[in-house]
Amino acid sequence: MGWLRRHRSIIPYLFLLPGGLWLIVFFVLPLLTTLSVSLQEGSLGSGYRLTFNFAIFPESIMRWNEQFVRSLQYGLIVTILTMLIGYPMAYTIAFRGGRYKSALLLLVIMPFFTSFIIRTISWKFILADEGFVLGTLKDWGVLDPSFRLLATPMAVISGITYNFLPFVVLPLYVALERIDPKLIEAANDLYATRRQAFLKVTLPLSMPGVFAASLLSFIPAVGDYLNAELLGSRQTTMIGNVIQRLFLVNNDYPQASALSLVLMVGILVSIFIYMRVLRGQELGT
Amino acid sequence: MHDESSIERAIARALRPGRRLSRRRFLRDSGRGAIVAGSALSLPAILAACGIGPAGSTAGSAAPSASNKVVGGGEPAGTLNFANWPLYIDQDDNGKSETLRMFTEATGIEVNYDEKIEDNQSFFGIIQPALAAGEDTGYDLMVITDWLVGNMLRLGFLEEFDVATSVPNFVANAAPKYHDPVYDPDNRHSVPWQSGLTAMAYNPALVSEEITSLKQLFDPAFIEKYSGKIGMFTEMRDTMNLTLLYLGVDPAKATVADAERARDVLMAQAPYVRGYYGNDFAQGLADGSLAITMAWSGDIFQLQFDNPDLKLVVPEEGAILWVDNMTIPKGAQHPNDALAMMDFVYQPEIAAQITEYVNYICPVPAAQEVIRQHAEEADNQDDADYLNAVADSELVFPSEDMLSRTYSYKVLDEDEERQWNELFGEVVQG
Amino acid sequence: MTSAATTAPRSDAPPVRRASLATTLGRLILPVYTGLVVLYMLLPILVMAAFGFNDTEGRFNFVWHGFTLENWLNVFSRYPALNEALINSLIVATVSTVLATTLGVLMGLALTRYEFRGRGPLNLLIFLPIATPEIVLGASLLALFVSAEISRNLTTIIIAHIMFNLSYVVVTVRARFAAFDRSLEEAAMDLGADEWTTFRKVTFPLIFPGIMAAALLAFALSIDDFVITQFTSGQTSTFPLWVYGASRIGVPPQVNVMGTIIFLIALVGMGLWVLVQRRDRLRSAPGATDR
Repeated sequence: MGWLRRHRSIIPYLFLLPGGLWLIVFFVLPLLTTLSVSLQEGSLGSGYRLTFNFAIFPESIMRWNEQFVRSLQYGLIVTILTMLIGYPMAYTIAFRGGRYKSALLLLVIMPFFTSFIIRTISWKFILADEGFVLGTLKDWGVLDPSFRLLATPMAVISGITYNFLPFVVLPLYVALERIDPKLIEAANDLYATRRQAFLKVTLPLSMPGVFAASLLSFIPAVGDYLNAELLGSRQTTMIGNVIQRLFLVNNDYPQASALSLVLMVGILVSIFIYMRVLRGQELGT
Repeated sequence: MHDESSIERAIARALRPGRRLSRRRFLRDSGRGAIVAGSALSLPAILAACGIGPAGSTAGSAAPSASNKVVGGGEPAGTLNFANWPLYIDQDDNGKSETLRMFTEATGIEVNYDEKIEDNQSFFGIIQPALAAGEDTGYDLMVITDWLVGNMLRLGFLEEFDVATSVPNFVANAAPKYHDPVYDPDNRHSVPWQSGLTAMAYNPALVSEEITSLKQLFDPAFIEKYSGKIGMFTEMRDTMNLTLLYLGVDPAKATVADAERARDVLMAQAPYVRGYYGNDFAQGLADGSLAITMAWSGDIFQLQFDNPDLKLVVPEEGAILWVDNMTIPKGAQHPNDALAMMDFVYQPEIAAQITEYVNYICPVPAAQEVIRQHAEEADNQDDADYLNAVADSELVFPSEDMLSRTYSYKVLDEDEERQWNELFGEVVQG
Repeated sequence: MTSAATTAPRSDAPPVRRASLATTLGRLILPVYTGLVVLYMLLPILVMAAFGFNDTEGRFNFVWHGFTLENWLNVFSRYPALNEALINSLIVATVSTVLATTLGVLMGLALTRYEFRGRGPLNLLIFLPIATPEIVLGASLLALFVSAEISRNLTTIIIAHIMFNLSYVVVTVRARFAAFDRSLEEAAMDLGADEWTTFRKVTFPLIFPGIMAAALLAFALSIDDFVITQFTSGQTSTFPLWVYGASRIGVPPQVNVMGTIIFLIALVGMGLWVLVQRRDRLRSAPGATDR
């Protein structure tokens, strides 16, 4: 302790060391492999050679342009939806949850304990064309007999929204929970309306949480493929599906790696623009 | 190359009488490292020692020559690491497999049975690095689908064995259809575990016509009526090969030009297709989301318990017979134990036991009688009804006529596989 | 002790202004809304639980055939491989959550409370794993393990899970640490508390809810991860892997029962937690706060 006190400047590095090393060894190193693979040419059987085939990047973007745009669209819609659904919920848990806070948080993440296969089977059961919801509405004549929810963009977007809602509620809750209710009371005492108090006090103070939450829904949503695969159709193919197919079915590792990198860069650029929009908001702080 | 394999076959044929007895003696001898040159049965070993191993001599093999020898003919080591798909073997109410128990009792071999294979392609992805590095995958026996057998064979990733001497029960008991398949000539690297049909199915409650032909699945004029209720498969091989049958092309003889025509047909059909399904097609058919769909026979057999009206159709044009095979990955530590298991499950009694549980197409026709007998001996009517349903189902014991109308997947070489995947990728992903 | 306990009475206290009917209704909107969202989150679980009682005929569990308790009676004996997979999943999720949270909290503290060089690259290093498609993380880790000749088992799964959880933990806790009011710590120090006591009595209770939320997130991500686990698991199976494999043949109702049991355990745990908190508060009431 004494030594540490004399060398305070070393403390942050000590704190960062284990996690940083972990990320370097188990993330950066493998990622560099991916980069090198993307610049190779060849096939599984005959082997790959590093040919610095940079042309693969523009080629991939051109070929899968439509899926890229669709993924970004879905990611954006999902982010907005999760925020609209998640913010009031996180707000309620943080300010009105009382002693049920932990309980409510746990309820939010409960679906993850059941495996996505079971959840999807359940959703398909609930929303089936002739299931008890749509089937009943069709019998009553409320819906056209040919109406369906499954295998539509709506199904995919709702599926992703459902999956990533907890990722939004948790950081929002964390940010809202630390706001001192006294500040809001003070605003009320100064004759601010509830609306004004929310807009002038609560919302600005929760912005770091909004920022973190929107990233935690946007990024995985753009790269998702399970929902599109299980709930979608040909018209809802996302870039994640393409990468997955190239990796696991076509065994086209260079193309798959290149697309992955393009996707990462695309996401980083979106985040950068987003940060500029939320000016003054440095990454999460 | 060709000569070697015919020499092998000739020797195997010549030695067939009295095979079992001498094989057992041979196993004992070689286990002790005794000199076995006098025994004709050791010929494969000698050939291998002289560097003229018959090994992966099938077309296009890129097998590393160093390990080009036949496995088998040795004493089992007493351990078997067996990778299979979940729920793909009989299990009692305590989750124990009677087949595995009997195997251990009969042979003394302990089985580490691992339900590890979730999917051919991803399982291959998991073991491929070890195989490419020439290392042991940790498995001695694995169940993989025929096209992957073809692929791994091409890459030299499967051990070769002499089916005549090492798996005599296969030779004696397997249906003729399973001998000498296109993906593995002479069964040098594989014997079937279970198989099934890729065909089509429909829900008569939603379809007014009787479905008999692939035209009713592909012809836009016909399927317009069922738009959004048509299901196809996301597995490239299933969908492409079935489409080839619609085009009147034997998949085994298909060219890339044929594959392009298949792509065109599928593109024309795509606007009416609800989705490209994996196993989840079964739920769609069960809940009325799908009216007409590509289907796997085993799933339809199961779905008929939920909805007896559902129908599997082997179309006029034919269907695909897929086969999941027992194979030994290159570098396996206990190949003799793996061969012992292969031979063991080809006894009709054991094959019946597995089929009663998994209900896929049984490669051993004699198992049908065994199951009927089990039905007679059953303690209650429920069990008897169930067993009779299994024995009587054409989806478990297809007739010769039905089997004669089936085709295997085309074995694709690397270039073809890439081209076909790209063509099919356009269909499913735009 | 916990901040939840100390803030709760405050937020429960009615506002000073007069409560008209409109505001009373207004106050109900949020809880009702939250209830509806929770219901939406749990709807699939209710369906799952119901089908755990299904007396299935074939091997598929899509159509209701009648009520049975059989699946509950043999849930842990019917598929030993499934038990093993579930235990593996719980081990992986617990260990990776604890380690990732520890490493992540340390990083979060460093990022928000200290000055150091290389902040920019570090931020990038933390964000990239979140921005990387799961399949790329899995495939590239597999390449690393194979080339380093590391055989894949439970340990490699845990390594991978810590890796992808770490960034999520840092991002979640940082939002809370960043706005931490340092004057509280300074006040404690002024009152003679040493650094460790200050951390234990002041800092930690205040950052604890953030850490809990991050840990919950990590646990949830880990227990249901399929893609990365598939690449890093070798011969080990986990609950999601087994269920995915079983879906080829038909997911047995025992899987539904297991999901239901886990849900019930969590529910009972929550109930106990609430009770313990209530007892603590009753014991320390009235107004016996230490500050």
